[in-house]
Amino acid sequence: MALLSVRNLHARVGDKDILKGIDLEVGAGEVHAIMGPNGSGKSTLASVLAGRDAYEVTQGEVLLDGKPLLELAPEARAAEGVFLAFQYPVEIPGVGNLHFLRTALNAQRRVKGLEELDAMDFLQMAKEKSKLVQLDAAFMNRSVNEGFSGGEKKRNEIFQMAVLEPRLAILDETDSGLDIDALRTVAGGVNGLRSPQRSMVVITHYQRLLDYIVPDKVHVMAGGRIIRSGGRELALELEEKGYGWLGLQDGKAAATKGGEARR
Amino acid sequence: MTPGVTRYVDVASRFQARDATTPAWLQRVRQEGLEHFARLGLPTTRDEAWKYTNLSPIADGAFVPSATAGSTAELSAVVARLALPGPRLVFVDGRLSPELSSVAGLPRGLTLKPLRDALVEDGALLEAELGQRALAAEQAFTALNAALLEDGAVLRLAPGALSEVPVQLLFLTRGDAPVLASPRILVVAGEGSEATLVETYASATGVSGQGFTNAVTEVTLGDNASLKHYRLQSEGDAAVHVGGLHVLQGRDSRFVSHNFAFGGVLARNEVSVTFAGEGGDATLNGLYVGRGTQHLDQRTALDHAVPRCTSRELYKGVLDDRARGTFHGLVKVRQDAQRTDSRQQNRNLLLSEHAQADTRPQLEILADDVKCAHGAVVGRLDAQALFYLRSRGIPRAEAERLLTYAFARELVDAVPEGPVRASVEGLLAPKLPGAPRTEVTA
Repeated sequence: MALLSVRNLHARVGDKDILKGIDLEVGAGEVHAIMGPNGSGKSTLASVLAGRDAYEVTQGEVLLDGKPLLELAPEARAAEGVFLAFQYPVEIPGVGNLHFLRTALNAQRRVKGLEELDAMDFLQMAKEKSKLVQLDAAFMNRSVNEGFSGGEKKRNEIFQMAVLEPRLAILDETDSGLDIDALRTVAGGVNGLRSPQRSMVVITHYQRLLDYIVPDKVHVMAGGRIIRSGGRELALELEEKGYGWLGLQDGKAAATKGGEARR
Repeated sequence: MTPGVTRYVDVASRFQARDATTPAWLQRVRQEGLEHFARLGLPTTRDEAWKYTNLSPIADGAFVPSATAGSTAELSAVVARLALPGPRLVFVDGRLSPELSSVAGLPRGLTLKPLRDALVEDGALLEAELGQRALAAEQAFTALNAALLEDGAVLRLAPGALSEVPVQLLFLTRGDAPVLASPRILVVAGEGSEATLVETYASATGVSGQGFTNAVTEVTLGDNASLKHYRLQSEGDAAVHVGGLHVLQGRDSRFVSHNFAFGGVLARNEVSVTFAGEGGDATLNGLYVGRGTQHLDQRTALDHAVPRCTSRELYKGVLDDRARGTFHGLVKVRQDAQRTDSRQQNRNLLLSEHAQADTRPQLEILADDVKCAHGAVVGRLDAQALFYLRSRGIPRAEAERLLTYAFARELVDAVPEGPVRASVEGLLAPKLPGAPRTEVTA
């Protein structure tokens, strides 16, 4: 059975339909890439899976390991093992990175009936995990993402993923805005977290990321639907021919935009 | 006179008639206070300075001064919880409690005296200093305080005196009766002296405490003197509190005010600072945290009367339920006050639909070569930050508490680490439970 099943998922924001029937099955331990031009609904899919309340699901269902996900609050989804690496990680002045992460981990452990970790044990574990993305100890003591560079924010996301050990990680454009060194570090962190028990959905605009995180399957989204699925070769073909190759109306715009520095 | 004013006039007249042996100068101070109060009456919302604040809990209350501190032995546990290490005077229901007070360890060059002793022993000094910074002729509550002048404290710093330990004035109300406490505090800091003064106001009965505290503090800082002043007000949620802190700063002097307002169904706090000498530096920090139907009113006034002075002001409010917070910050830069550098910020966080914040920065700038900035914000918890925390597994209520404390902590962190910070954290904890337990740092 698939770990994640998305069936005929429709969602909108306000009166604007954004997801128009998504079907997606991700097996345990698999890494799926979702590609597509801007405005295709990729990030909306990530947000809906994580439970952001700006979106209204109008049809369809999502199952995690056979259990309905959409009726759960975001924190309950996290406790079930869902993790979203944010495209734009939020800066939270006044909340220490370590305190935040220990609070999160212990909240999840409470739900699972596990004993909470004390500050010492947590610190040891966090230090170990931070090596994975070469996150300096100084960052752990600062406020969450406050004053972090783009690359530091993305590494912090992967660090959090390493600590929280989700079953399903959704990476929303984790590569956007990173130079190649930062991309390698982040991708190395993600690869270090691949395991037969952990599935990943990697959302990206650029094929480049998939040189470093090699997916089992590639899906192309456009206009709120998955219009093409295939193996890794689909990504390479897209890279070569551009989104226009699939007959996408906004493919040209997307290709142009892809060349710009994005914030 | 309205019935409320008449009641307070009667109370003060009876108080003044009680003791015929009072020195003539003190009789005069009290009597003038009474006359000013009778003339001014209680402010109403038609008064500009009281626009947002309905004083009916004061006008309608039957508050009377306590004759004595009474037996205070049973309060020793409460005092132990609120006391800081170092010298302190403790007052119960507005009256000095010698048995709970201790001035042991008072550093050299500092004189700390109960006001009632100083009124007898240091008549000349008090006659000259009392009422110089806080003007009974202009403010009804200062006048009422003067009319009932008896208890409080006098802190004097000899020139060059340095104190590392904070001096604490602890004002406890039993909270079980409508007592009117009218403490007056006088601080005179000689040239180049440095000290820390902590005023703590609390109800022995905790959050259910009632009573009316009307406190006035007058501070005169000599040239190059430095005072850190803390005001920790966490009286009961049924209490009424009016506090005035009036400061005159000499040349090159430094003044820091940390003003924490957590208690009271109605609490008004006023801080006014006048720069009388060039090169003065004032920092006014404030945090007000209200819930239920609390009304917390802050007013600050900075008078840049001379050139080259610096003022920094940060006030934050956290308001839940039906609480209302108000901030009115006046910065006056007079024509001669060139090279003034002034910044004022007021930020308010509303935690419920029915909470309310009014913020009113007011700048009057008559000089042209100045740097002045101000900002005022009323907002809610950041939805993005809330989702971010929840997406990591932190339940909504816990995430809200974390973010609320994060908003307030800037003002807690502004207090240097040590017993005063710990005291602030202790008083804040029941109001804002999102404070982090001590985190081991990497």
